[in-house]
Amino acid sequence: MSNVWLPCGLYHQKYSEDHGWWQTPVIKGKMILLLVLVFIVFPFTLTGYWFGVANMIGYTAMGALGVQLLIGYAGLVTLGHAAFIAVGAYTSALMILHFPWPRFLIDWGLAYPISIIISGILAGIWSVLFGLPSAKVKGFYLILTTMAAQFITVDFLITQYISQIGGRGQAFSLPPGTIKIGPWIIDGELKTYLLMAVLLTLSVTVVANLLRSKVGRAWIAIRDNDIAAETIGINIIWYKLLNFFVAGFIAGLAGAFWISNTAALSPEHFPWFWSLWLVGVILIGGIGSIHGVIFGSIFMVIVMELIQYGVMLLSDVYPDLMIKFLYIKESVFGLVICVFLIFEPRGLSYRWWQIKNYFNLWPFSY
Amino acid sequence: MELFVMSLINGIMVGGVYALVALGWVLIYKCSGVLNLAMGELTLIGAYVTLTFYQIGVPFIMSIIITLIIGVILGILVERIFLDRLIGEPILAVLMVTVGLSFFFKGIIEFIWGVQTQAFQPPIFSLEPIEIGFIKISRVYLWSFILAIVLFLLFSAFFKYTHWGLAMQATADDETAALSVGVSARFVYAAAWAIAFMSAGVGGALLGNINGINISVGYLGLLVLPAVVLGGLNSIPGAIVGGITIGILQNLSGTYLDQYFPGGVKEVFPFAFMVVFMLFKPYGFWGWERIERM
Repeated sequence: MSNVWLPCGLYHQKYSEDHGWWQTPVIKGKMILLLVLVFIVFPFTLTGYWFGVANMIGYTAMGALGVQLLIGYAGLVTLGHAAFIAVGAYTSALMILHFPWPRFLIDWGLAYPISIIISGILAGIWSVLFGLPSAKVKGFYLILTTMAAQFITVDFLITQYISQIGGRGQAFSLPPGTIKIGPWIIDGELKTYLLMAVLLTLSVTVVANLLRSKVGRAWIAIRDNDIAAETIGINIIWYKLLNFFVAGFIAGLAGAFWISNTAALSPEHFPWFWSLWLVGVILIGGIGSIHGVIFGSIFMVIVMELIQYGVMLLSDVYPDLMIKFLYIKESVFGLVICVFLIFEPRGLSYRWWQIKNYFNLWPFSY
Repeated sequence: MELFVMSLINGIMVGGVYALVALGWVLIYKCSGVLNLAMGELTLIGAYVTLTFYQIGVPFIMSIIITLIIGVILGILVERIFLDRLIGEPILAVLMVTVGLSFFFKGIIEFIWGVQTQAFQPPIFSLEPIEIGFIKISRVYLWSFILAIVLFLLFSAFFKYTHWGLAMQATADDETAALSVGVSARFVYAAAWAIAFMSAGVGGALLGNINGINISVGYLGLLVLPAVVLGGLNSIPGAIVGGITIGILQNLSGTYLDQYFPGGVKEVFPFAFMVVFMLFKPYGFWGWERIERM
């Protein structure tokens, strides 16, 4: 049984078609249109500010994708994902700054790409380390271990030790020209945008395909009922740890991308707030859906930009408001999460699904 | 040896404060089955409200009583506005609503009271420590310790002997089953949140006396998590024992490990301990072990 609506007259004749990714010409066209939009139309039409917004959306979405894998597909609630992003970011920055690269690798501009992959792997391993208790506990107790990951990694190890490397205090800054992929130096907003788009597309593709495979089905079985999953022969510890690894890997990629976006790095970029923010993003987007990750990121980033804009407009009348912007942001974020959970518990992706179905059946919706 | 005894006693006293905050976590978990991540902010609200009344000239005891009343009102309000609609929803939704509430409250607190440290002026507890031999005990810690013990006895009796206490535990264990035998879940949740606000209010008022109140007092709500885990999420004696154990561990690690790992080893050691501890004893010492059936 295929999981999409097939238009009249279109039949699957082979199992491979039934499992296909883009099953109808309409979907195929839509996806190609989306890729064209992201990779060709946006780079030529967006301007400076909007690139910044798009990069923020991409960074949020990459982080939230890992959270979605953990919470939405394996039922492992995490409240410490920023720690793994931080591990990725610091690994990549340290490798670029202090690793004794052979000359030819730097000349070919391979240092940064290699560091991206290594930071992904390291963040994944770090994530597995804190996922180990998931073998024994679940629910609230697991939440506590992931919170411990946040405090141990960011507030202790990174703030106290790792950011002291190089002896320049808290913040790392990456000199211009060190972040280089092949012949291109990643400096402008356009180039970071393209890097973001490539990384995000790759990770979404990998995750979406993983979810259609044996691994993804095992994760979903564990999420729905882990005892039942165990009885049908799924090695739940192995798959849970694998889930932690993949989520951590994507977090590592997000972290490594972040240094190209800011060219500076400090522990304050990865507060506990950011971990909760990512969970908020997927709650608003919809749990258990990759669409949800993207919708949630777009929604949250745009809403925050709108609030900032509104505060700036009001700041002529109430100058205090600008200083207190951060507090308003926090309050609004909290309220948005509460309102979504109460009135739209299935998130934006469910709305999207409803709209899509409406048009699939339109005009004969009976 | 003197150093060891000193750290031990200090640890026990600090542990009393942790136990007080941990009690708030355990109470709301025991009553409604929700891990309330807004606990730190509730503590802050309690501290600031008490401070505000104290500053306009109300005696300390009276301001605490006013805080308790405001706490009950706020608790019932929060429950009616936000959590009432979530009865029967998955537990993650409720948890995340508490996260949302914590941000909401935090923003409001910062908006109203600012981020500067404010202290109780004039101080309520004399700064002179009580001396027994070479051991010095600060009065605030002693009072928190005593209060934690008193509240522990009070709530233990409440859960063991009263009708309401049993109804609350039943709801926490299985909401649907409790509803079917006629327990009003709405009432239980309202009461749970009122109790949480009240205990957090008293805790906050005492904590505010130690180093003054600022937004970081709210983080203490998170730092006691290892204590809660150690004792088990739904055990009131566990909260007390866990709080004291974590207090001792923290002070001993501060005394002996700080020279090897300079920096914040004192704050992080309990968390590291917690992760390892959970590998061996996942439900704490006295937490209910969930037995699942298919």
